[in-house]
Amino acid sequence: MPKRPKILLVDDSPLVLLVIGQALEKDGFDSRRAANVAEAMALLKNEVPDLILSDYQMPGTDGFAFRQSLMAIPEYKNIPFMFLTSVTDHAHMIAGMSMDAIDYIDKDTPITFVISKINNYLNSIRERHEHTIKELSSAAMALNLYSVPQETPHIDGFEIDFWHKSFENYPGGDFIDAITINNRYTFIILGDVMGKKWGAWFFSFGYLSYIRAAVRLCVSEGDVSTKSIMQKINSVIYHDPVVSEVLSTLSLIMIDSEHETLSYTGAGDLPLLYFNRAENLLNRISSSGLLLGISKEGGFDEHLFTMQPGDQLILVTDGLIDKETPAGKKTDLDSFTDEIAKYLGKFNSFESLKNDGFLNQKAIEQIDDCSLIFIQKTAK
Amino acid sequence: MILQTHLLDNALIADIQLKEANLANSEQFKSELTNLINSGNKFVIVNFEQVIYVDSSFLGALVSALKLAMNKAADIAVVGLNSDIRSLFQLVRLDKVFRIYTNTQEALTGA
Repeated sequence: MPKRPKILLVDDSPLVLLVIGQALEKDGFDSRRAANVAEAMALLKNEVPDLILSDYQMPGTDGFAFRQSLMAIPEYKNIPFMFLTSVTDHAHMIAGMSMDAIDYIDKDTPITFVISKINNYLNSIRERHEHTIKELSSAAMALNLYSVPQETPHIDGFEIDFWHKSFENYPGGDFIDAITINNRYTFIILGDVMGKKWGAWFFSFGYLSYIRAAVRLCVSEGDVSTKSIMQKINSVIYHDPVVSEVLSTLSLIMIDSEHETLSYTGAGDLPLLYFNRAENLLNRISSSGLLLGISKEGGFDEHLFTMQPGDQLILVTDGLIDKETPAGKKTDLDSFTDEIAKYLGKFNSFESLKNDGFLNQKAIEQIDDCSLIFIQKTAK
Repeated sequence: MILQTHLLDNALIADIQLKEANLANSEQFKSELTNLINSGNKFVIVNFEQVIYVDSSFLGALVSALKLAMNKAADIAVVGLNSDIRSLFQLVRLDKVFRIYTNTQEALTGA
């Protein structure tokens, strides 16, 4: 379901706020109401609305001064702004419209008509926006720039699955990759570039190239230690002025299908969730490494383990573990662990996570892209 | 302005005036904090007391500012984290990157 657009109403009349606010809510909008400009500025600090509908004549700061102060603030100047006022002489209307307002509406206008104007405007913006995203996405696809592989790797004795959901179809900062070196070694990669939307996507793609190159170079020189590979990647990123400003998490797993062992090194990533079938227990495997590029050394460690048939390993990015609560939003790995535990330990765990709605429901609640990697040991 | 600042002893206290610290405000936060470092402050205490939730882009902005601070022989400490945000710092090991104190007073004596 699309999100309800948020409208910030600014008017010193409590009645106007109430009547228009209720009409907007009834029509599928969320309204935020401010009785003066100071209140409006306070609300803006916590939340940027989709549109501002403001009175002109208010005690203290008036609507024109409000508009001008918004225009001077880069984060606020592009919020669509409409005047709704009973001051409708031509001089005021022209002055108002000259401040990049999208409309100047007489307060006597029927509310349904005002709402139609808002709807029409937001629809046209959305259509234009969707069109742009589509164009950019097809350009990225034409260049073959994927941050998530199109196919899952086949490794003897293991089942690997990827799940990724972008936020509102923006490519985001998450990246997944599987690098098959030979019949024996496969590297699985999950990362999250901090930041969102196009900027993060661009850098996540850049990072992925770095990491692919590093893994292949290291392996070709006989180095298959995830810790040592991570140290090399970190060192390159730390010294590279182009990417050192960008921060990323990284989970690096190497599967050795000959010895049926895994090794894991993490950089600022969330703990792996390990379901041990024999004990019917869901444990965490936490790494010690810092986010890539923060420090020269990075403090990385390496975990070696052997999975038994039926054991399952889950890697997630932070997009999945945020939770809306009555007190506000919070990051909560514990409740995510409890919820996902119900799906684990079955032969079709991944399918049911994907198809029973658990993952999609999580993704809908989030404002970030979400990724999950599922690894299951099977009998050889 | 996201950060409200005042000097106390040898430190600059920067209060984050946000409830939700996320992508919508992370760029502005980064530029304000970067300016504080660039204008020569050697010890900035970032106060999260008013913040309920932090997302990864905001944390990224905080870490970028710390990297800049380290290059300029300055330091950033973090105070006033609620229990959820403190767990998040621990979860992604930022507790090893930042000096974290319960409140400003502790940060000043710890400094």
